[in-house]
Amino acid sequence: MTSLLSIRHVEKHFGRVRAVNGVSLDIRENEFFALLGSSGSGKTTLLRMLAGFETLSGGQILLNGRDISNVPPNHRPVNLMFQSYALFPHMTVAQNIAYGLEMEKLPRAEIRARVDEILGTIQLSALAARKPEQLSGGQRQRVALARALVKRPQLLLLDEPLGALDKKLRSEMQLELKRIQHQFGITFIIVTHDQEEALVMADRIAILQHGELVQCAPPREVYEHPATRFAAEFIGVMNVFPVQRDGMRLTAADGSLIHASIPEGLGAEIVAAVRPERLRLDAETCDNRLSGRIIATAYHGLDLQVHVATPAMAKPMVCRVTADAAEARNFRAGDLLTLGWNSADTRLFAA
Amino acid sequence: MQDRRSLVLVAPAFAWLTAFMVVPCLLILALAFFRRGLYGGIDYEFTFENFAMVLDPLYARIFLKSAWIAGLAALIAAVVGYAAAYAIASMPRHRQPALLFFAILPFWSNYLVRTYAWIVLLNREGLIVGIARALGFSGEMPQMLYTEGAVVLGLVYNYLPFVILAAYAPLSRLNPEISEASRDLGAGRWTTFRRVVLPITLPGVATGFVFVFVLSIGNFVTPALLGGGQFQMIGNLVYDQFLSANDWPFGSALSMVLIAVMLVLLTAQTFANERASTGRQSAEPVDG
Ligand SMILES: Nc1ncnc2c1ncn2[C@@H]1O[C@H](COP(=O)(O)OP(=O)(O)OP(=O)(O)O)[C@@H](O)[C@H]1O
Ligand SMILES: [Mg+2]
Repeated sequence: MTSLLSIRHVEKHFGRVRAVNGVSLDIRENEFFALLGSSGSGKTTLLRMLAGFETLSGGQILLNGRDISNVPPNHRPVNLMFQSYALFPHMTVAQNIAYGLEMEKLPRAEIRARVDEILGTIQLSALAARKPEQLSGGQRQRVALARALVKRPQLLLLDEPLGALDKKLRSEMQLELKRIQHQFGITFIIVTHDQEEALVMADRIAILQHGELVQCAPPREVYEHPATRFAAEFIGVMNVFPVQRDGMRLTAADGSLIHASIPEGLGAEIVAAVRPERLRLDAETCDNRLSGRIIATAYHGLDLQVHVATPAMAKPMVCRVTADAAEARNFRAGDLLTLGWNSADTRLFAA
Repeated sequence: MQDRRSLVLVAPAFAWLTAFMVVPCLLILALAFFRRGLYGGIDYEFTFENFAMVLDPLYARIFLKSAWIAGLAALIAAVVGYAAAYAIASMPRHRQPALLFFAILPFWSNYLVRTYAWIVLLNREGLIVGIARALGFSGEMPQMLYTEGAVVLGLVYNYLPFVILAAYAPLSRLNPEISEASRDLGAGRWTTFRRVVLPITLPGVATGFVFVFVLSIGNFVTPALLGGGQFQMIGNLVYDQFLSANDWPFGSALSMVLIAVMLVLLTAQTFANERASTGRQSAEPVDG
C-alpha cells in the first residue's frame, strides 16, 4: 500500500492559538479521506497547509516522498476547492475552468477539449457562457469542482464542498462526488463537520479536536470503536453514563451491575457508552438490564426513538426501534419496561 | 403609494438641483448664443460666433492642452492611488481604517493652502533646492515651479484621495480566496494580479480616473498658482472671460463645451460601472 501524502507532526500556531497540534497522517493513493471535527478544530488550517497557503510552524508534508512544505501553492500538484467556491466573477464558467489549464501553457485546442469534456461530466455544458452570478448554489459548486478537477491534480482538497447546499441536493452531490472521485482516480481529502456525510463518503475518517488527531480509521471502525469519549459522542448518537469501578466490577449510579470488557489502561473515572440501535426494550436475554420508564417518543419515519428514564442514569437513554417493531408494540410515554443491551456492545472510556 | 412616497423624498433634492444647477446652466447656455456688447455687456442678438471661436486654433490648443494635462494627472493619480489602495488593502484588517485616514488627511485642509505648500517646496529658494544644496549638489537646478510638471503634480496631489477611496472600496471587498484560487490553479503573483485582481477592481480605478480628469480639466487655481501667469488651461480662460475680458457670451460657450465633455465622460463611466457592478457583487464571499 503506497502512501501518496505523509503529514508528519505538523503544527500551526497563530500567536498563542495552536490551530493544528502535532498531526500525523498517511493518505493513500485513490483514497477518499475525510477530515472531521467541530468548528475551530483546525480542519481548514490543515487543508490550507496542504495547499500551500499557510506556512508550517513545525513538521513536514511529503507528497510522493518529496518534502513540499516550502513549495508555493502554484507549484504543487494539489488543488483546493474553497469553502466559498472563490469563482472568478469576471469570467464565464468556461473561462473559469480553462484558467488553470492556461497556467499550464497547454495548446488552445487541448484546453478547449478538456474544458468541454469536464463540462459534460458535471452536466453544465449548457451554462458554459454564463457568469458565476447567474448560477445557482449547486451549479457554482459544480463549477468550482470542475475548475479544480480539470487540472487532474494528484490530490484534491475540498473544504466543506457541500456546506452551502440544502439537504436533498447534498445527498445527491455526495454520491456524485464519490462517482467523480472513482472516475478520475484522484485522491480526495474532504473537510466536513457533518459526521453523517463523512460516514457515507469516506474510505477513512480522521477526527480532529482542538487541533489534535483523535482517531483515524474507516467509518465502521470509527462508529463501532471510537477511540475516545469525544469521538464516541461526536459521531452519531451515543448514550453515555458514568460508572463506578471497583476492581473488575462496574456499577451504575444506582448500584446496578454493568457488564463490559474493561480495556487496559483505564483509570477509575469511567463512562460507559451504548449506541441507541444496540439497546433492546423488553429485553430479558441481554446481560445488561435496567428497568425504566418511557418519558417520550419521537417519530423519525424510518425508526422510532424512545427516550427511557432509568434510576441508574441522570439523563434518559435514547433507543432506536425499527418501524416494524414499533408497530408491533405500541410504545407510549409512561410505559414501564426493561432496557437491555449486550456487554459486547458496551464501550468504556476515560471520563 | 410607494411611488408617491419616494417622490416626496426626492423632491427637495430635485428642487435644489433645479434652482441652483439646472437654471444657472440654462442661463449660461442661453448667454452663449448672444453677442458680446461693444463695451462689455451683452447684445441680445442670436449668433453661433462664440462656438465658432472655441474652434479657433488658439483656443482649441488650450482645450487640447487642458485635456492632456488632466489626462496625465488622472493617469498618474490612478496608478499611484491604486498602488496605495492596494497596499492599504493588503495590510491587516484592523490597521486599514487608520492608514486610510492618513491617506485622506490632506484632503481636510484648504485647497489653496495645500497648493501654496507646493510653491514653498518647489520654488528657486524652496525646500527641495535647499535640501539638494545641503546634500552638496551645487550645479544648476532645473526650473521646477511654473512648469507643466508642477501643475500636473499639484493636480495629482490634490485629487489622489479620490482615487484611493474609489479603488480601496472594491479591493477591500475582494474575497482573498479569489486570489488564492488563482494561485492554487497555477498562477504566479503577477499573473494573479493581472488576470484576476486588476480586472475585478478596475471599475473603482476607472471611477477615480474620471473624477480626477473632470476635476482637473476645469481647474483654474492650480494652473494659476503652480503654472505661473503665462500658463493657461480652460478653467483660466473661462475665468478671464468672465472676470477680466468681460466677454460673458464667449466664456459661456467655453463652459458649455467643457460641461458637455464632462457629461459625456461621467455618463460613460456610470454605464460602464453599472455593467461591471454585478461582477463585483459576486466577488464577495458566499457564506457557507
Ligand atoms: N489567520 C488566523 N489567525 C489567527 N487564528 C486563526 C487563523 N486561522 C485560524 N485561526 C484559528 O485556528 C483555529 C482553527 O481554525 P480553522 O479555520 O482551521 O477551523 P475549522 O476546523 O476549519 O473550523 P470550521 O468548521 O468552523 O470551518 C481556530 O481557533 C481559529 O480561530
Ligand atoms: Mg473551516
